Amino acid sequence: MGGSRFLLLGIACAFGLVQVEGAAARDRLYYMGYEIIQVIDGDTDTIVADIPIKGATRDASLSADRKFLFVSTNRHLVHKVDLGENRVVATLDMSNDGWDRVMFGLVVDADGKTAYGAFMSRKTDKGDVVVGKPVVAQFDLATGKLLRSVDVPWGVAHLVSVRGGKTLYAFGQDLYKIDTTGADLKLVETVPMFDKGMNILPFWDYAFDNGGVASMNYYTPKYMGLLLVDQASGAIDDVVLKGDPAMAYSVVLSPDRKKAYAVMDDLTVIDLAKKTYVASVPIKEGTCYGVNVSADGKKVYVGGGGSTLTVYDAATLKPLKVLQMASDGMDLRRISF
Amino acid sequence: MKSKRIEALNEKAKAIERLAEGEGKTAEALAGPPAMPQGCTTIFDTGWETNPRPTYPIGNCQASVRDFHGCAGDCWWPAQVPDGLTNHREFDVGCPNVARDWRNLKYD
Repeated sequence: MGGSRFLLLGIACAFGLVQVEGAAARDRLYYMGYEIIQVIDGDTDTIVADIPIKGATRDASLSADRKFLFVSTNRHLVHKVDLGENRVVATLDMSNDGWDRVMFGLVVDADGKTAYGAFMSRKTDKGDVVVGKPVVAQFDLATGKLLRSVDVPWGVAHLVSVRGGKTLYAFGQDLYKIDTTGADLKLVETVPMFDKGMNILPFWDYAFDNGGVASMNYYTPKYMGLLLVDQASGAIDDVVLKGDPAMAYSVVLSPDRKKAYAVMDDLTVIDLAKKTYVASVPIKEGTCYGVNVSADGKKVYVGGGGSTLTVYDAATLKPLKVLQMASDGMDLRRISF
Repeated sequence: MKSKRIEALNEKAKAIERLAEGEGKTAEALAGPPAMPQGCTTIFDTGWETNPRPTYPIGNCQASVRDFHGCAGDCWWPAQVPDGLTNHREFDVGCPNVARDWRNLKYD
């Protein structure tokens, strides 16, 4: 009996070992919809779970242990989504102390206890409207209470955390670098963009999807460029593309980081080394906001804007499948497990 | 002094003119940052919707309905679509898929 148990244990261990060695990264695509997030299995490209959520999704930030996705909706709610259970387990309202706030950008700190957002605020006092200064603030993820803040110029629309959270990059009309290491948040550098003619809509950055590089496109009157922010070092690669600009809402990198895929009315492939456009195909379903790529680089996903998600062969740019989603959408995020 | 282009002719019009006497500018055109109203979109207008596509709908998303939530949610076009930041924060509840649910759109 005892011998049999050891034999079975040995077989189980061997089987487990084979499973571990043979395990490949498993993609999950998260379709960021309105009142819902839908989960797509990257192997079968089918919808495998629906996650009801209150509001219209906007920003998303992945916890360091990759177990939770924090999602902002309606520019004032923050939801904690358990990725194992595919459900919202907690919700915060950032308008919680008499101030009515809207939040742009969401970055969860490494410890998972606090997060940062860019806020505008307003309230009424005896019938008068009081408008708060725009700030980037750190808040408690358990209570939603603001812990500390720094004034920033009007128009911050997105945050990127770099150097392990020691610095925040706040993207608005210009780039504002915020030091988080002291007792107070401190705006330490402003990198001009607006005066250089750079026009950016930084709602999509794919930082965790790209493995630690935030990718955002911008335009000048003459060209399209990409800002690639290395989260580990904080370095920004400003890639100026040759040729007539391809109009795009968002840009994601291929896993080998040799190419980028841009999306709006068309799906466009960009050669990052040559800084040129390689190919472009119109998206039959129409304008899309979000784009992503499978972990093996073989498939490209476009979706959002309208209620479709189209899967493309990355090599040929031929559509493989169109999924009808439950709602229109804001974005499409990939997490590999 | 600028010449008056419109002249009050009746008593009611003259009364309105008297009411407006000495009145200064009270509103700014929505042109360029930071003139956007508080509560509306926080970033300058990118103008990307003036996409130089030569086909219908010219200068708009393809189709326009795919951009409805994007325009409404962050209050890009508060006169044309629900203002998702102030007055119609939950309009998406009844209309998460505009192409399918547009009959449920109810806003002033």
